[in-house]
Amino acid sequence: MKKTILSTAILLATAVTSQASAADIQMNGFGSVRFGQMVDVDGVNPMLPDLYNDDDLTFKDESLFGIQFSSDLGDGLSATVQLTAEGSNDFDVEAHWAYISYQINENHTVNAGRLATPLFNQSEYELVGFAHNYARLPKSVYWGFDFNTFEGVSLDSQYTFEDYFLTTKLIYGNWDGDIEGINSEFKNIVGANASLNRDWWTVFGGALLSEFEGDIDSALTIPSVIGGVNASGATGAEIDSFLSSISQSGKDGLYMYGGFKVDHHDWLIDYEYAQYEIQDSADAKNKSWYLSLGRRFNEYTVTYVHEDYSQDSDYSVLSSVENPILQATGQSFVDALAARNMTIDSIHVRWDFTSSAALKADYFFGSDDRVEVGDFSGFSVGVDFIF
Amino acid sequence: MKKIFKNLTIALTCAVSFSAFADVSVIVHPNNNTEISKDDVSRIFLGRMKSFSNGNEAVPVSQEEGSPVRTEFNEKVLSKSDAQLKAYWSKLVFTGKGTPPKQVMSDAEIIKLISQNPSMVGYVDSASVDSSVKQVLKF
Repeated sequence: MKKTILSTAILLATAVTSQASAADIQMNGFGSVRFGQMVDVDGVNPMLPDLYNDDDLTFKDESLFGIQFSSDLGDGLSATVQLTAEGSNDFDVEAHWAYISYQINENHTVNAGRLATPLFNQSEYELVGFAHNYARLPKSVYWGFDFNTFEGVSLDSQYTFEDYFLTTKLIYGNWDGDIEGINSEFKNIVGANASLNRDWWTVFGGALLSEFEGDIDSALTIPSVIGGVNASGATGAEIDSFLSSISQSGKDGLYMYGGFKVDHHDWLIDYEYAQYEIQDSADAKNKSWYLSLGRRFNEYTVTYVHEDYSQDSDYSVLSSVENPILQATGQSFVDALAARNMTIDSIHVRWDFTSSAALKADYFFGSDDRVEVGDFSGFSVGVDFIF
Repeated sequence: MKKIFKNLTIALTCAVSFSAFADVSVIVHPNNNTEISKDDVSRIFLGRMKSFSNGNEAVPVSQEEGSPVRTEFNEKVLSKSDAQLKAYWSKLVFTGKGTPPKQVMSDAEIIKLISQNPSMVGYVDSASVDSSVKQVLKF
């Protein structure tokens, strides 16, 4: 699958280059070279995605390179390919995006192809470290989902009225791939988001709904509950009903977010709340948020971030399960999927030592409710750049 | 080498002191009679507005990075430092939502371009403005 997409991207890029002269092709790039380490962990490593899961100092987890080619094909049509190579993926080159755009008028642009999934407010540029002041976007919300692109169409719109600036985005498409090694698919993804800005403040929000399918139930759900099912003495109908209550495949995934930003007299405040789950299944409702306060001092920006991630154990999905052993088995499975509750505090310093590169350092310390994890802390130093 | 360094230092000092006192003029084609406010200029240069208030297409032209007049314009009109402006555009460029204004090398080049194209709007050091273009705002 990955190979096919890469070939398509190369084909597209070649097509673009052969149709347009070199001067018509815009090349832009971004990258991060960052090293860091988890320095102190009470128990076992919290295993946050791409965040120093080994004991050693590493350059690999958070370093990445991206290059984007776009070509104006005339009459409002353009083609864009963005290739990325992430250290966390062994720097394998991947076509992050490959799409064509058509500017309908000055308010609306329609895009088609492989596009970024706007799961949360900053998801579309989550790899571009230079675009924000953090060493990394807060993990509690920007978890590093595999589902960060989709194949489909999007409509970007922007409106200016008096002092207000409104942007909206509508998407439709599909995604398939592996989530933690399990074959998965998001079908009929529909999403909408909006952002309203005036002077120094912005408010934003969005939602995305999709049908989730995949091998998760045969790979995880059934093996986890089979012991309880066998011991329950329940009828075939009861077991079928129980399994269909807790299963995730065939259910809807719902992602929602909202928040605000302030950038006033060099003070910066950012808040974002996100909530997502596979509905009507054993999957936990994930609730996460961050609040950050920053201050610019000429070319330096100092930011303090508090973030919180929690998973609710909600047994309502088991309300029709009467067999006590199935009920207990279901509850312990729900609990197992809702095991992570944590907070992280971090302080970040950004130094724009040129207009195209920023040196950033951060120190973070967190606390994970799981007894085997407990408190943890770490740091990173790196350079984010664009070219 | 030492001499070159000294000359460079003098040139740099001049550039710095010059930039501190220079005014920035926003210029359009002489036939462009549209009303244009500071907010309009800011919106056009941030990719938020693509036409003048009279409905005609507006194409912003910027100066090369590192030029004192660019820094002055970014700070006075867009209220952003050079790095902040780059971070702003990186969000748009890498999400396919916008492209920064075309950049040209000098005041002379920008004046020449604008004198030939009624859609364009640009900014130059006020001392460079001549009769081939119309100054609409000065900061």
